[in-house]
This record gives sequence, structure tokens and C-alpha cells, in this order.
Amino acid sequence: MKRVISLVLLAVVGVGWIYLGEAKIRIEFWHAMSGSRLKVLEKIVNDFNSLHPDIEVVPVFTGTYEETLTKFIAAYRAGTAPHIVQVYEVGTQTMIDSGAIIPVYQIPEILGETWDWGQYILPILLYYSVDGNLWSFPFNSSTSMLYYNKDHFRAAGLDPNKPPTTWDEVEEYGKKLIEAGIVKNVIAFGWPDWQFEQQLALHNHLYADNDNGRAGLATKVMWPDEFSIKVFETWTRLAQEGILIYAGTEYDPNAAFTSGAISMLLQSTSSLDGILKTAKFEVGTSFLPRFPGEPIGNSVVGGASLWVRKGLSYDELRAVWEFFKYLGNTDVTIYWHKNTGYFPATNAAVKQLMDEGWFAKSPNHLTAFLQILIGRRDTAASIGVRLGPFVAIRDYIRSAMEKAFSGALSPADALAEAAAKANAALEEYRLSLGK
Amino acid sequence: MKKQVLYTVGLHATLVLILLGVAFPVYFAFVIATHTHEDAYAFPPKLLPGKQFLANVLEAWTRTNMGRLMLNSAIVAIAVSLGKIMLSILAAFAFTHFRFRGRVLLFPMCMVTQMLPLPVRIVPAYQLMASFHWLNTYYALIIPYLASTTGILLFRQFFLTVPDELPDAARVDGAGPLRYLWSVLVPLSKTNIAALFVIEFVYMWNEYLWPLLVTTNPSLRVAQIGLKMLLTTERTVAEWNVIMAGTILVMLPPLVVLILMRRQFAQGIAMQSTK
Amino acid sequence: MQARFPGYRILPYLLVFPSVAVIIIFLVAPFIQAAIQSFRQTSPFGTVSSFVGIRQYQLLFSDPTYMRSLLTSWYFGLLVILGGLSLSLFIAVLVTRKVRGMAFYQVAFIWTYALSPAVAGVIWALLFDPAIGIGTYVFSKLTGFSINFTIQGATAILILAAAAIWNMLGYNVCFYIAGLQNVPRELEEAARVDGAGPWRTFWLITFPMLSPTTAFLVFVNTIYAFFQVFGLIDIMTKGGPGGATEILVYKLYRDAFIRVRYNYASAQSVVLFLIVAATAIFQLWVSTRRAVYLR
Repeated sequence: MKRVISLVLLAVVGVGWIYLGEAKIRIEFWHAMSGSRLKVLEKIVNDFNSLHPDIEVVPVFTGTYEETLTKFIAAYRAGTAPHIVQVYEVGTQTMIDSGAIIPVYQIPEILGETWDWGQYILPILLYYSVDGNLWSFPFNSSTSMLYYNKDHFRAAGLDPNKPPTTWDEVEEYGKKLIEAGIVKNVIAFGWPDWQFEQQLALHNHLYADNDNGRAGLATKVMWPDEFSIKVFETWTRLAQEGILIYAGTEYDPNAAFTSGAISMLLQSTSSLDGILKTAKFEVGTSFLPRFPGEPIGNSVVGGASLWVRKGLSYDELRAVWEFFKYLGNTDVTIYWHKNTGYFPATNAAVKQLMDEGWFAKSPNHLTAFLQILIGRRDTAASIGVRLGPFVAIRDYIRSAMEKAFSGALSPADALAEAAAKANAALEEYRLSLGK
Repeated sequence: MKKQVLYTVGLHATLVLILLGVAFPVYFAFVIATHTHEDAYAFPPKLLPGKQFLANVLEAWTRTNMGRLMLNSAIVAIAVSLGKIMLSILAAFAFTHFRFRGRVLLFPMCMVTQMLPLPVRIVPAYQLMASFHWLNTYYALIIPYLASTTGILLFRQFFLTVPDELPDAARVDGAGPLRYLWSVLVPLSKTNIAALFVIEFVYMWNEYLWPLLVTTNPSLRVAQIGLKMLLTTERTVAEWNVIMAGTILVMLPPLVVLILMRRQFAQGIAMQSTK
Repeated sequence: MQARFPGYRILPYLLVFPSVAVIIIFLVAPFIQAAIQSFRQTSPFGTVSSFVGIRQYQLLFSDPTYMRSLLTSWYFGLLVILGGLSLSLFIAVLVTRKVRGMAFYQVAFIWTYALSPAVAGVIWALLFDPAIGIGTYVFSKLTGFSINFTIQGATAILILAAAAIWNMLGYNVCFYIAGLQNVPRELEEAARVDGAGPWRTFWLITFPMLSPTTAFLVFVNTIYAFFQVFGLIDIMTKGGPGGATEILVYKLYRDAFIRVRYNYASAQSVVLFLIVAATAIFQLWVSTRRAVYLR
């Protein structure tokens, strides 16, 4: 009897040994990619897992960006946080201050590898960097551009290949479109609060102090100042003329554009595929409208990036790094771009797309790229702002827009009211960090 | 005589009109669920059903994995209902059949549960789930709901109406209190149990905020959140026909339970209002 | 009351224990935590925390969006309670007339109770969808106004209230039916004999006798209008347009889980608690007062 027992025990230990020896390194990856993006992501992860039999990346869809961040915070406090988490650009400062992550630039150093950060698209790199070092890994980035209805332009006697370049032209074209009876309202903003950030960065104006929150925690917002008041006044005037219609937040205005109720839309590039599929007219795209005579900056990067939890073992770090390197592969990057509309994050991918004629076939996919690549990248204003209480401040700007457009407050007063709330939020954020 | 007839006819007519008015929104929802996307967007809106109902239901079902969602809702609703009933019976039994100092707990328990609805404790409750490692588990969806002072009061009221002869007889027979509870009281309480079951089942099936917070994993989400998922698609224009098909699916189970058990539900209400 | 099973010391405690445990662990302890957190300022990841006294409350009451949220909540609550209860009472009175066939109607309204606030939200969002909603269509035909609850704040609140009233109709009607059936017929008949018309009978006799039911329904509908409508709002307006429908519970949710301001949200939780406690105590007071009066 004793013999049998010991044999069984030996067998169990043996099997366990073999099994554990072959144990994969499990990397949990929380993300917010829903719908069709989910399938694309899962394919990428499955391919990676097949190529690396000793690693298993487990993607977990954890809801919207907000839900994912909330869950991550709670999980971290409870000690159950994942290895990789996707956080939207708005949560960048929160993650930097979290004390819960390891900046990604440190990973190759720890692993003894060299890594050329120059292979990534510079504006994206700059957005997620602190003091020139990259803290989170670029994954799905987008920016905003102008969509317009070429059929409407033709019907109003406008040249469909000459979309408006400045806000004056937006107003002029808008009046023509309304007079020709094509539409009642002309243009709407997707993510209206983001469009305000875009205009500031586009013209190299700071959004907040301390170099847009990049040299240190922002203590106050720079608006209302002359430029921001000009933006608000222009938009308010357009709204009161009926040219600009406030059609909700985020992706709400897309329906108005694709159904032909309006002729122009400022929206994220990530909507491009959806709009091209749904619109029954010829869709044109161009750069965001500018204010003539103002300095040149750049459009701001949106989307999300990947953060790595601190406290990972050496093996786990190695696995994470292999995964990140895989995500940066030209083929993978191109696959991600073609199936989701997000930027391919590497220069090599852009070149290959160009070589295979992708942009020639679909010039609309090139627009946002060009816009961000030809803008300047050397000033904090053009890279974009980083704020702790970003979500709240976006809320305040949105309220300010609604009040200004409806005439409840003057543009300057609406901005001032929002600024007071924003500064209070910034102070509270610093207080919560004990600063 | 004529006045009486007029009165009756008028009463019926008014009520029928009101009933139709109340039912109309659901009817309209059903009609939209039977059309194609284009027909659903017809203006003025169509009022007669189309032929696409099954197709839309299938689309809603696969798009949100509705089968899994409804299974989760069912598991949670049934588990909580049964659990609540059990805990309430035990507590009510204690309060009515024993003399112990803990009896004074009843009133504060009731006050506390009435005054502490979820939003009043939501952030720490959520963090509690995180620290128990219960996020994205059935535990988080079920356990916090298991105490019900409504149930305790309901059963307490009923137990008080049971004549003393029964427990006395049980004691004479040598049966302990638990035996008495299980073999005598519980069978007697069938109506109350059914009433509480239907009320709690509907209530739990329809819960929204807590499941929204504690389960973000698609395999743990409940049917109500499936509705939210249907609405927030990437499609640029809302596909109302599919959304309404999904809505009809989600609202059927509690509706069926309520209609099948309407008598017990009415009794539950009657008992609550003669407190 | 006699102990039916004397001599058992520990058993009753064991029987009550599960319920008490759940209540303490999942209701009381978190609330105490919320109260404590409302006096502190903590970093999102919990790394730094300090005591700040009543700062959160000061912020709360000097914040115009919070005051607006308070007012909106009360306004909405009033609409739901007044509108809902009067409509339900009207229906309940009709179906409790001594006429043949009324029993059918008494059950016919029950089914609305099965619909969740989220389901009601989807249905009413469709009904008044600016593009295809039949409600929008009929309204514009009748009044010439085109309403759009996604961009008009005042419209949004009214439509939300209508959806909420519709949602609670079955419940309210059922309780009023039960309440009406409990009103002693002798009192009504006595009034009739005294020469009072049906209208006066109703207001002087029936309605006052219904006050425990009414108080109870006011409480339940208040809880509904303050809390359960969350699903309705999340589906229909998400607090918009421009915060017009961001009632207290929705603002709490957004502040806590989207804007990640845990301490600020905890202060809101405490204020909500005070509101609920006050309403609960009021309801208790009215029903006991009524009970004494009856005696």
C-alpha cells in the first residue's frame, strides 16, 4: 500500500513538475476596445500567443475607457490589477501620478535591451512622454479632422475640392449652403470639448500653465485669454447664425452628418471607416479650420495608450515587452490601422502603406496623418495639455459652450466661469496628491 | 336606468382608452422591432408591424450575446429571491417565536435598510467588492442583496397570525423549532413565499446601477446592461429596430413571471398595505 | 408576546445572524466609510490621504452645478409624485367602482411594474426620438412645435418625468386599489346619507383615509425618483443636455466613477442619506399619526 501511495505521489509531482515547467507566463491585458475593434484586437493577441508559446496574453474587455480606469484603480488598491491596462489620453496625468505603474522607457533598460524610440510617430511619442521619456506605449491614437459632404458642396455651387481652410471660409461657405436651401445647419463638432483643445494647440496656444502641465502639475488654465475668447466668440456667432449646431457630445453628431442633415463635421479619425460605410454621398476630408494670422501649432493626439503595472517579475516584464514589440511590427500595425482607422504608430508602417498605394486608393485615410505630421512638435502648446482632473474640465468647457451658444452667458463670461471651476479642480487634484 | 348604462359604458370606455394609452408605447416599440432599418426610419412613423421581427431578434441576440446576459440575470434574480426568502424566514421566525434581547434589532434593521439605498454607500461598497476580489463575480451581484427587511416584516406579520396551538403541538410532539419551521411554517407560508418571490425576481431582473459597476466582463453582464450595449454601438445611426427587438427580449421574463404570478403579487401588495 | 419556544438562548441569534451580517457588512459599514471619506481628500489610487474637515461640503454647496442638481432632483421628484399619484389615484378610483368588469382592469395595469427603468428609458427614447419618434410627430402635428429632448433641457425633464410616471403607474395603481378597498364603506355611505355629493365625499372622507397609502407611495415614489431612475437617465439622456437632467444620483455616479472624485462624491452620498432619512422619518410620522387619529 505504501508503495502505491508513493508511486502515485511521485507521478503527481512529476506531472506537476512538467506542467509547471511548461507553464506559460500569463499577462492580463485590460482594454476598452468594443465592437469590431474587439475582434481585431483578439486576432492580434491570438497571433502573438501562437508565435510565443511560452507567453499567454489574456485580453479582457473591461468596458468603456472610464469603466476600465475605474476598475483598474479599484483593482490596484485591492491588489488584483492586471499587467497591462489601456487608458485613454485624458487619464494620462492620473496614471503618471498613480504610483501604480512603471514607465515603459525603463523596461528595455531593465531587460538589457536597446530600443529605438525613433521608430514611432513623433507627435504620439511626445504626447505620452515626461521630460523626454516615454511613459506609456502608443497603441491606438487618432486626431481630429474636417469631414465634409462633397455632394452638398456641388449642389451649392462650391468647389468640392476646395473645402474651407479658415473659420471665415466656414462661415462664408455655410451661408451659401443655407441660402441654397441644402441644409438648415452646416457644421457640428464631435467631442466639442476636444475641439476646443484642438484649436488652442493648432495655433500654438497653451491650454494650461507649467508648459501645458508637462513641466509640472498645472495650477491654472490659461483661458480666458484673447485667443480663446476669439475662438468662443467665433463659434458663438456661427451658432447664432445657425451655421454651427451643437449636436451632442462624442459621436452623437455623426448621425447628422451621415444622414445629410449637415454638410460638415469636426470629428475623430477613428470615425472615418464608419462614416465612409454609412454615408451615401461622396465624403471629403481636410485639415481642421484655422484662424488666419495666428501662429502655427499642431492638432492634438487622442485615443489611448498602454500602461504597465509596477511590481512585475522579470519574466513578466520580458513577456510584456515582447508583446509591445509585436504590436509595433509593421504588419501588425498596418492590420490594426486598416481595420480600425487608428493611426499606425510607426514610421515604417506609414512608409509601407504609402508604398502599397493605400493612401492613393483612399486619400481620406491620409488627411489626419498629414495634418499631424506637418504641424510643429517642438512646443508644449502644440503637443497638447496634460491635466489631472481632465474629465471634469472637459465637462466645464462643454457647459461653457452650451451657455455661450444659447446666449445665456457671453462667450467671455462663459469661459471665465468654466476657468474658475477648472482652477478649483486643479487645486483639488494637487491637494489630493499632498502637493 | 339609462343613467346607469351611460355610467357603465362611460367608465369602461375611459378605462379602455387609458389602458390603450398606457400600452401604446410598448406596442410602438414592438412595431419598430418588426421592421427593417429603413422602414423603422420612415416618417411619418409606421404603425403596423412588419416582417423582420425574428431577424431583428436574432441580430440583437448575437450582437450582445443576449443568451448569456439573460442567463446571468436569471441566475442572479433567482438566487437573490430564494436567498432573501430564506434569510427573511429565518429572521422573522426568530423575531416571532423566541424571547431574546436581540428582538430590539428589528426596528433599527428596518430603518437602516430603508435609509441606506445603494447610492448612499456606493463608492465604499464598490471598493469593498474590489477588496473581496468579488468584482466580476456572481458574489458581488448576489450577496449584498440578501437581506430584506420587507421580507422579514412580511413573514413576521404572517407568523404572528399562526395560532399558538401549532407550535405548542409541535413542542409536545418533541419537535425542535427548526423542524417546526421547516415542516409546518414554511408550507403554510407558500403564498407569502410566492409573493415575495415574484416581487424580488422582478426587482433583481431590473437592477441597473450595481451590475453596471461591479461587472464589466461581458460574460458576467446582465440583461439590463445588454440594453445599454445595444444603444452604444459604433454605428453612426441608432438601429432602433434591433434595439427594440433586444428590449422586448429583456422585458419578457419579468413580464411573464408577473403575469403568471399576478395573484400572488396582488396579495403581496395587499399584505404590505395593511401594515 | 409569548415566546413560543422558550429556553433557546443561542438559536434565535443564529437565525438572525445572516441578515444582520449582510446589513452590517454591505450597508452600514460602507456608509460609515463614505461618511469618513467625505471629510478627507484622497488621491485616486489611494496613495495619499489627508483630513480636510468640511472642505468637501463647502465645495458642494458653493458649486452651482450641485445646487442645480439639487433643484432639478426636487423638481423632477415633484413631477413624478404629483403627476404619478394623481393619475394613479384617478385610475384606482375608476376601477374600484361597483360596476361589472372592473376586476379585469384591476389586474390589467399590473404589468407595467415588470418594466425596468432602463426598458422604460429605451421605449420612451424611441417614442420621442427627434427623427422617428411617434410622440415627436404627434406633438408637432398638434402644436406645431418640434421638440427635441436631446438638445432642449426643459423638454428632457418633462419627457423623463412622463417616462417615470408611466413606469411606476402599475405599482401606484395597485396600492391605491388596495388602499381604497380598505376604506370602510360605512363612512362613505354615511357621508352620502348626509347629502354629500361624490366629489365632497371623496375629498373629505376617502382621501384622508388614504393618507397612510399616500404617505407610503410618496416615500416609495421619492426613492424611485431619486434613485431608481438612474437606469432611465443613463439610457435616455446621461444627465444631459448640458446637465439639465443630472439629478443627484447621476451626478454622484459621474463624480465618483467618471471624474474620479471619490471624496467629493462621498460628501454627496451623505447629503443624499440625510434627504432619504428625512423622508423616511416623515413617512413614519404621517402613518403613525394617521393610525392614532383612526383610533
